[in-house]
Amino acid sequence: MEDFFTNLGLGFSVAFTLKNLFWCFMGALIGTAIGVLPGVGPVATMALLLPVTYYLSPEGALIMLAGIYYGAQYGGSTTAILVNLPGEASSVATALDGYQMARQGRAGPALAICAIGSFIAGTIATCLIVLAAPPLTAMAQQFTPAAFFSLMVLGLVLAIVMASGSLLKAVGMILLGMLLGLIGTDVNTGNTRFTFGISDLFDGIGFVIVAMGVFGMAEIVGNIGNTERRDLLSSKVSHLYPTRDDMKRSSGPILRGTLLGSLLGVLPGAAATLSSFASYALEKRLSGVPAKFGTGMIEGVAGPESANNAAAQTSFIPMLTLGIPASPVMAMMIGGMMIHGIQPGPQVMQQKPALFWGLIVSMWLGNLMLLVLNLPLIGIWVKLLMVPYRLLAIAILFFCCIGVYSLNNLATEVHFMAFFGVLGYIFVKLRCEAAPLLLGFLLGPLMEVYMRRAMLLSRGDPYVFIDWNNQKLSLGFLIVSLVVVVVLVLLPNMRKAREVAFKEE
Amino acid sequence: MRRREFLAASAAAAATGLAGTRASAQAASWPDKPVKLILPYAPGGATDAIGRPWAEALSKAFGQQFVVENRGGAGGMIGTEAVAKAAPDGYTLLLTPNATLTVLPTLRKTPYDPVKSFAPIARVGDLVCGFVVHPSVGVKTMPELIAYAKKNPGKLVYGSAGLGTATQLRIEMLKWKTGVDILHVPYRGSADALNDLLPGTVQMMNEIVVLPHVKAGKLILLNINHSTRNPDFPDVPTLTELGIKDADVPIWYSILAPTGTPEDIIAKLNEKIVELAKTDDMKAKMRTINVEVPSQKPSEIADFIGVDTKRNAELIKAANIKLE
Repeated sequence: MEDFFTNLGLGFSVAFTLKNLFWCFMGALIGTAIGVLPGVGPVATMALLLPVTYYLSPEGALIMLAGIYYGAQYGGSTTAILVNLPGEASSVATALDGYQMARQGRAGPALAICAIGSFIAGTIATCLIVLAAPPLTAMAQQFTPAAFFSLMVLGLVLAIVMASGSLLKAVGMILLGMLLGLIGTDVNTGNTRFTFGISDLFDGIGFVIVAMGVFGMAEIVGNIGNTERRDLLSSKVSHLYPTRDDMKRSSGPILRGTLLGSLLGVLPGAAATLSSFASYALEKRLSGVPAKFGTGMIEGVAGPESANNAAAQTSFIPMLTLGIPASPVMAMMIGGMMIHGIQPGPQVMQQKPALFWGLIVSMWLGNLMLLVLNLPLIGIWVKLLMVPYRLLAIAILFFCCIGVYSLNNLATEVHFMAFFGVLGYIFVKLRCEAAPLLLGFLLGPLMEVYMRRAMLLSRGDPYVFIDWNNQKLSLGFLIVSLVVVVVLVLLPNMRKAREVAFKEE
Repeated sequence: MRRREFLAASAAAAATGLAGTRASAQAASWPDKPVKLILPYAPGGATDAIGRPWAEALSKAFGQQFVVENRGGAGGMIGTEAVAKAAPDGYTLLLTPNATLTVLPTLRKTPYDPVKSFAPIARVGDLVCGFVVHPSVGVKTMPELIAYAKKNPGKLVYGSAGLGTATQLRIEMLKWKTGVDILHVPYRGSADALNDLLPGTVQMMNEIVVLPHVKAGKLILLNINHSTRNPDFPDVPTLTELGIKDADVPIWYSILAPTGTPEDIIAKLNEKIVELAKTDDMKAKMRTINVEVPSQKPSEIADFIGVDTKRNAELIKAANIKLE
């Protein structure tokens, strides 16, 4: 415990210098700005700013880069709520109820609860990093390929929970998403699948492209074709800030989301993204009125948003303790370290304690700055919805195209997004939900990779997924998945309740 | 009709003449606008770590920005193709590891020709790797590892950053030269593989980023993949010293221009890069990322591309590595 305070003290002494506070603020500000622009992601921005960090101290450089990341995570939910444009995988769950809230004139409370939930989640997750980085790292290393596979299975089961409409359609969308996710080069054999020889498809289609197409573009086309829907957006903006009742309803989801996000955030790749979906599914299950999810429930915003911010914080853990980048963003952070001649790895904590603890404390400061920065901005964002839709729609489309182009500097990818826009519009007309499709798209290919890796390592023995002695985690996830499926889908009375709820809509 | 053809022909002739003079004028004033340096991989990786210090140093040396542009995708093919098809005016250059030039073309049909599409400019770094093994295996040296693998064929598992990458090729080289059987599990990138190496899910890897873990005692470094030992690990032998011949191949990086780029510009760049490579600043920067910079003339690089391609093709055939 004494260590805890010495470390924290050291961190504060580094982060609280005028220079580093400035870079922290700049990072959070730039991050929020690019997060709000649909499609322009933190990776592209960090890559763009890497050369600038040459001229900063290593601490300042990393503090600013980190600020861009969590700022962008935060800003991403703003567009998800206001115009149904999740720029990041983690804001898809936020868009589900957040956008519905905005359409009911409750964009203000939705945005405010995002800021508050994110801040609370960020604070708790930062404390977790300080207190428990090594044990959390050890926990992450318990995950074998078999365990990851089973976690992905659980994730897909959650996708069924999330869906609010027809069960059959939800399963169909998951399967379609998984197929789309298989586009690209097979890791195990090097075969290219569903690419039609187009080299731009060899690495598959980016998540952002699919998400912006089926969510954002489809929504715009849908709104243009329907005057009533469109007018909903700008009419009756009630209060800007959450009511006492809103806060009460959100406190549970925020804490549960933080816990889920903190744990899943330590895992590599899409496992962290899973946290916001998992939180949404959890809140829906715990809620007395699950059928109302998807129609503007504040719990459905508070939970996922806290989960995604907590995960964003704890995803720094493997990078800081092991030097392993769990995501492209963390790879950029490592790039930032290497520019300053710091080799990422387990020795950073001992050799560069000022950098290590300074960065961690700056994350908390950054979260505080985001809160202070964004609460007053809410009024401006809400006013944005008053812009005539004929102008707003064009602006959104314009930024989408720029954002997608900035991913890889490829015009073809803008065409892909347009394709998914058309597909998304067809889905809207068929009353098929896009969220299960995206979850299938995200998890399907990972599931395949982990399954084949586990089978390769077990020399072809499928027992590896349910081996009690060596694969307790995997067995556990599979049992939970089975229980959820049985409870949700197969028990006749539950199913009936579900169908009734659907008809009521 | 005939008259029109004549006009077109003379116009074309004039254009060529004009282009000729323009080219030499260009070379003299080059660079008078920012130069694009395309890296065919996503930001944050080894290519980025090598490319950015060079872009910075070249910007300072020529007084024009050398702008890094990451064009990842298709194992490096997309970015490499972009440079192959760019205007050969000295304002679009490629910085790539050897994989796109001397490995990929053997495995896949590439939309460029590694020899005909490019004019080499300079070799900018050799990334020195080594084989590491997890302590749970219980071996401490390369002979012990080979003895262990011979006694337990197929029991050891190594992780790689993907099919056809150097992380696979070098260990396949070891398997081929020593006749041992080690199972290969491909990953998406080396960070992904490292996640499974540290807890011992896979036991072996050919990587450079793991060196801090070797220092921390979490992994054991068996050898260095380079002609000389690594000053940080003076006790670790090279493969040649261990009696495994022709296997000490680094991952080497070079800067190339599209074919047809004026000779003057290439010479100017090569001269400057060779000069910069000798500065203490650049040496120190490369040293921290375990890169050494051998100096080479453009013609030597062209020859080396041929040698490396042949060597890799031989290995790919022997190890039966297939992509399509």
